[in-house]
Amino acid sequence: MNLTYQIILIGALMGVFAIVAGRVSSRLGAPVLLVFLGLGMLAGEDGLGIRYDDVTGAFFVCSVALAVILFDGGLRTQRSTFAVAGWPSLVLATVGVAITAGIVAVGAWAMFGTPPAGALLIGATVASTDAAAVFFLLRLQKLDIARRVASTLEVESGLNDPMAIFLTLLAIELVSAQDLTVAEGVATFLLQIGGGALIGWGGGRALVFLVNRLETAAGLYPILVVASALTVFAGAQLLGTSGFLAVYVAGFVLGNERHRASQLILRFHDGIAWLAQIAMLLTLGLLVTPTKLLPVLLPALGVAAVLMIVARPLAVFLCLWPFRFSMRERAFAAWVGLRGAVPIYLALPAIIENMPGGEALFGVAFVVVLTSLVLQGWTVAPAARFMNLALPPSKAQADRRDVDVPFGAHRDIVGYTVLPGSAVVNLPFDRLPLPEGARVLSVLRAGSVVEPAALDHLAPRDYVLVIADPEQIHGLDRIFASRRRAGESVAAAGEFAVDARQSIDEFGRLYGIEIRPRDAGKSIAAVITAAFSGKPVAGDRMPYGPVELVVRDLDDAGAVIMVGLALEPEADRPTLSRLLGPRLHAAFGRVGRRLAGRGQRA
Amino acid sequence: MELNTIISPEGVIADLKANSKKQALQELSVRAAGITGVSDRTILDTLLERERLGTTGVGQGIAIPHGKLGEIDRLFGLFARLADPIEFESIDEQPVDLVFLLLAPQGAGADHLKALARVSRLLRDKDVCEKLRHCDSVEAIYALLTDNARPHAA
Repeated sequence: MNLTYQIILIGALMGVFAIVAGRVSSRLGAPVLLVFLGLGMLAGEDGLGIRYDDVTGAFFVCSVALAVILFDGGLRTQRSTFAVAGWPSLVLATVGVAITAGIVAVGAWAMFGTPPAGALLIGATVASTDAAAVFFLLRLQKLDIARRVASTLEVESGLNDPMAIFLTLLAIELVSAQDLTVAEGVATFLLQIGGGALIGWGGGRALVFLVNRLETAAGLYPILVVASALTVFAGAQLLGTSGFLAVYVAGFVLGNERHRASQLILRFHDGIAWLAQIAMLLTLGLLVTPTKLLPVLLPALGVAAVLMIVARPLAVFLCLWPFRFSMRERAFAAWVGLRGAVPIYLALPAIIENMPGGEALFGVAFVVVLTSLVLQGWTVAPAARFMNLALPPSKAQADRRDVDVPFGAHRDIVGYTVLPGSAVVNLPFDRLPLPEGARVLSVLRAGSVVEPAALDHLAPRDYVLVIADPEQIHGLDRIFASRRRAGESVAAAGEFAVDARQSIDEFGRLYGIEIRPRDAGKSIAAVITAAFSGKPVAGDRMPYGPVELVVRDLDDAGAVIMVGLALEPEADRPTLSRLLGPRLHAAFGRVGRRLAGRGQRA
Repeated sequence: MELNTIISPEGVIADLKANSKKQALQELSVRAAGITGVSDRTILDTLLERERLGTTGVGQGIAIPHGKLGEIDRLFGLFARLADPIEFESIDEQPVDLVFLLLAPQGAGADHLKALARVSRLLRDKDVCEKLRHCDSVEAIYALLTDNARPHAA
């Protein structure tokens, strides 16, 4: 009896600790995933002494967790994100994963003489990325990354797990010395990927139908969705197709269709995806015995080095070749190949199946993930600043809460806290620039409800409830956002703001920049839109003569309304001063001069 | 490019009084006209023409109005600290109290851009701005603007 309570107590306490430690560590810029994993290791055999070596149980926990996380990832991927980043991320998630796995395999074979099939298994195991952690970290630090590369990394990380899993399966079959013809390999690939996508799409459509038709208690909708997602996942797996792809696609379909209780479902999934991350990483941290990692430590670090320094950069540069990315964006994508729990998870079957070298594979995967989380996870934000991809946070800064409105009303109720410095503070209440049809329902000031009719100004910290069309929410965010921008991001956003609706000829005349004949008579927005095949996004940069134009702001329809003028594009290359920050750089200079002075005296 | 080739001590105003963006630009044009000999109307028109393309209020209380003039033969700079901050339609909607005006001859394509970048980089340095706001003399302001020993030429 007491054992039951002990297990509950320990499990729950670890959950509490994980969250508190995650919050504390995020201030230090440490990736939360690392904290969860580290906490599991700390509680384990070499730490507090919790003995846990149930590999099958861990595989079960991680499978469920991964399905939930991928579903949540799909749910939050908007169609517009996919439109911007679909092709590059698709190539990265397929060809890129294969290249990464191949290079790591060659590296393992060359360095340690691992037999080819085993080397491929190592490569496939560590080939997929986990960008969710990256973006969580960036959001905590209030950094916006230039959108084209951010979207690409995000979608890539959702799509590349199925490919890595497929390659791992393939490698396992090769290791087991089963005869495998190329035709069989291709057929398995088509069944896995094609079947997974199809089942995911069908399952997603069915789920939308179910949610919208079934009358039940509001609190049951999120549960219905989770249960259905896991049904899609496990069903697809049992049919020999990729459940991981299916569950991601199902999430994407549901997330991009109008359906009931959407806010409730999103919020619930936010929580349950967190729970899944915590459960998965704590379990894996508990499962590993750090002292047992020592024998494989050196080879594993070798694999990690090949992965981070050769394989990922090469895969990224090759895959993004046909697409319009700047060198800095490619370099950033190459560095942010953060590994999450998936590689460790993929090594588990090798232990369960008692494959020769299974324990070693697990150890290698674990060390690779740990190294990646420490080195890459910790440096994402500095890397973004270094590459000048950190945009000034703009409209994302609005503090918004969403409320569900009965289905079919086609209206959303949103609540905003009025921020000091936002556009609404300076305007009389009856002249608020609300979108057509949007209305202020109520205002809470100092805890009590104020009649909107009795107000002449909104004050900072007022809480405002607005009813509006869902399509207008973006515009509302803009109005309620705090417009304070960081001064440091000039390198990323350009020195001066220029109205993109002005003619490019006028711009050229004022700055003595020659306008290309084919651009004559066009607006700046038209020229930049054409340069990015009709879909420019914030952070896109277009070199023009001696300067560069940076997309700063777009309206709700996706038209460019403001660009930044970067006067010295060549000076935007990373410098030591930017990496260290001017203060630190100056301090280094002082130390250097002092040392030099001392040398002269001596 | 060094700022002492662009701005002279007589081009520094320690306490400009203005109530609006328009008025500040007018006052600056008059001052610039006195030094360059170009009519203040021409200068003001040039500046306003540039403002129509987008505000030169770059945020953090800084504005860098600029433009090209056929009537001058070298780059010309003017710096003013405002007695009271004014609304300048800045990108961060904060009032402006430090203004650097830059005029370039019609043919100075690359030099114009280089000088603008130089001024912008100088005024992006928060320490410099803080000191500019608290200097008590024109000489001290001029010294800060043209001090080349600082490590901001990154």
